[in-house]
Amino acid sequence: MTQTHSVILKIENITKLHGQFKALNTISLEINRAEIFGLLGPNGAGKSTLLSILAGASKPSSGFAWLDGMEIQPNNLKLRARIGLVPQDFAFYEDLTAKENLLFFGQLFGMQGQVLTNKVNEILEIIGLDDEKAHQYSKYFSGGMKRRLNLGIALVHSPDILMLDEPTVGVDPQSRNRIFEAIKIINAMGTTVIYTTHYMEEAESLCNRIAILNHGEIIACDTLQNLLSLTQTTINFSIHENDQTKSGILQNKLPELKSEPLQGSYSLTSHKNSTPDIINLLVNEKIQIINLHLDSPNLEKVFLSLTGRHLRD
Amino acid sequence: MQSFIIAKKELTLLIRDKLTATVLFVLPFAMILILGLLLGEGFGQKTDDLMRISVLNLDKGFGLNNKPWAQHAIEDMVSTPNIKVEIIQNKELAEQLVKTGKRAAVIIFNPDFSDRVNECSFLSTGVNPFHRDGIYLEKLQVSIVKDNKQPATSAIIESVCQIALLRIVMPWMIGKAFEKLGDPEFIELLGKEVSLPIPPSLRLLIPKDKIPLGELLELASGKDVVLAKNYREKVGAGIQTALTGQFKNYNLTGKSWASLTRSVNNSETVNTLTTFKNEDGTGILKRGAIRYQILVPSFTVMFTFSLILISGWIFVAEKRQGTFNRLLSTPVSTPNILLGKFLPTIIISLFQIFFLLGLGKVLLGLKIGLPSWTLSDWMIALIILPLATSFCVASFSLLIGLLSKNETQLALFSSVPVCLFALIGGCIFPWEMMPDNAKTLAFLTPQGWALEAFREIMPSSFDTTTDFQLIWKSTLVLTSMGFILISITWITLGRIRFGNS
Ligand SMILES: Nc1ncnc2c1ncn2[C@@H]1O[C@H](COP(=O)(O)OP(=O)(O)O)[C@@H](O)[C@H]1O
Ligand SMILES: [Mg+2]
Repeated sequence: MTQTHSVILKIENITKLHGQFKALNTISLEINRAEIFGLLGPNGAGKSTLLSILAGASKPSSGFAWLDGMEIQPNNLKLRARIGLVPQDFAFYEDLTAKENLLFFGQLFGMQGQVLTNKVNEILEIIGLDDEKAHQYSKYFSGGMKRRLNLGIALVHSPDILMLDEPTVGVDPQSRNRIFEAIKIINAMGTTVIYTTHYMEEAESLCNRIAILNHGEIIACDTLQNLLSLTQTTINFSIHENDQTKSGILQNKLPELKSEPLQGSYSLTSHKNSTPDIINLLVNEKIQIINLHLDSPNLEKVFLSLTGRHLRD
Repeated sequence: MQSFIIAKKELTLLIRDKLTATVLFVLPFAMILILGLLLGEGFGQKTDDLMRISVLNLDKGFGLNNKPWAQHAIEDMVSTPNIKVEIIQNKELAEQLVKTGKRAAVIIFNPDFSDRVNECSFLSTGVNPFHRDGIYLEKLQVSIVKDNKQPATSAIIESVCQIALLRIVMPWMIGKAFEKLGDPEFIELLGKEVSLPIPPSLRLLIPKDKIPLGELLELASGKDVVLAKNYREKVGAGIQTALTGQFKNYNLTGKSWASLTRSVNNSETVNTLTTFKNEDGTGILKRGAIRYQILVPSFTVMFTFSLILISGWIFVAEKRQGTFNRLLSTPVSTPNILLGKFLPTIIISLFQIFFLLGLGKVLLGLKIGLPSWTLSDWMIALIILPLATSFCVASFSLLIGLLSKNETQLALFSSVPVCLFALIGGCIFPWEMMPDNAKTLAFLTPQGWALEAFREIMPSSFDTTTDFQLIWKSTLVLTSMGFILISITWITLGRIRFGNS
């Protein structure tokens, strides 16, 4: 019971065909209430397609999705008030000011009067658009400000679940931070977030759980920790040339050790030996280390190990 | 309610788009004005089968039947088939019309015209107006002011004038001459001039070879003066009778062409006598020019229907920008969203119509309606008809906007209703300038119907009544077309998937 209670969005066997092309292939996912769920995948993986189905903007070819037990369907108008979708492309009126855009969409969700005004001011605060910017035509905004407004509009009706489709494409670091802050604030207030991106750093820094999407299929879905544990840390080190005669000893003690092309350089990827073990071994054998660095696991490596290709090619 | 929110947003966007606002309001008026100033007076008027003769009548005298001879001449021209006569009010106007090239020539009957005609006679004492080619105009106090740049037309006008004068003066002179035949003085003259040969058998009585007719009559009367006069009159009457018998087909005493030639007037009596009316407008804007009565409705209808392109454009832009998808993600149903796009088009279209008619009235002296209109007539003309037109425009806009995936498609789709229909519908070239069956084709287009009705409420100078039945019919057709388009939109909507679905 507790488990079903914590699931806000349930996706079951969703497939989406574009003609013969399978943009999504039997996707099944569960998204928990109030978490930030990451959907990571390269361009063309099917992220936007999935979000559009989850937002009720399009129909899957087969399969279902439920929001709190209600089936998500394009003609279900009631569900729309609970979902906030931040589309990948800018979707606001450039000849309206930021504030007018927010007010307009708020009105379409049936909001009005002081409630609406307060909400709009709150959102302007969250997305970091000051009063001056709020009254500027949005066509004069920088890319970063446009991204923030694009996000703000999806927040105006206080959705239960916020879906963001690559909301940081083409923004400056300052705006990106702003957007991250905003997402964290919204999430802290209890909103579930689905965050779509092809930047693994973003997923790593923001998301509790992450699904990796490739060619329309979920190839992994877990907490960040568990995903990272799919790969190991690689230890790279080089030893002094005088100690190179002792390489035999090293090879003996560490059978998985690999010699690198540069003489005296080695790398080791292993579950069995942790970094302190290796340092101890080298010190005991009086081998002088001139260089040591660790290659920690990241999602890029996870993706590489799962698919055999890089996330961004 | 939500539709109104969307409608309000659409209007705000449109108003903020200065270029679009210019295209919608300033451009049509500018075109009306430019064409109004460039085009001539005759624009849009039925190319006349009638030859127009402009006449200035200053004649002060009287002629046959106590009617000024100029009047006879004018009536003669009026009853000539294919000629319409236009009376010019004064000499300054006549000269100005010719100077500005608006009339090729104006015939002027000067004050002494009747007196001169009265003096015309075959007798040596009278005025002889004839010369080899016709009539000396100056002898009759007739002048013609001509525009040197239009020699051909003025030559035709002059010969029309010559013929009219001949037909006035000839019967008049013949009639007077024929009357002279009975005059005793004439017989006396005749008696002196005509000598008859005397037959040999009578030479005993009158010992001459020849005898003048006068002497013969005296002989016959036996020197009785009264009897002699009587005989002379008899000879006169005899000659008249003989001539009358000889020229049975002519009434030689008729004094008018019609009675001289005993012709029955069998040409249909159409009123082809008009007085000059300034249809070219006044002032630099040519206020009140008759062509505005055609230009304003034509451009109003044409530009109202060009809203199809502009509304469609905004719709397509919205679809491409993703804001339309965003609208679809709100709890507003698709029909309500479309209604929100439909309403502003109606409002703008209405506004555009009123703007152009209002500006036309204030600045260009456009005539709308007739004095005889009742309140309900005005309502039909200025509310129901514009509403029906706008409804049709908005329906068209919605369908085209919905069907077009991008600007190129939109330009393609809307070129038919915006450009082609405007052309066929008569908005670009008035029907008067097109072949007769063009009008049949015009009624396949909404523009044709709208234009027909709008022209009816902006009467030309000849209209004295308004065909409200026609306006109702147009209204009905436009509304039906609108409903058909909306039905098509409805059916299409069921098949269209928006966004990335
Ligand atoms: N309307 C469509 N018709 C055909 N193929 C499409 C359509 N929309 C998306 N696709 C294809 O589906 C795949 C997934 O697209 P998308 O969901 O936009 O990927 P992502 O958002 O992950 O970059 C891509 O290969 C794309 O080319
Ligand atoms: Mg995408």
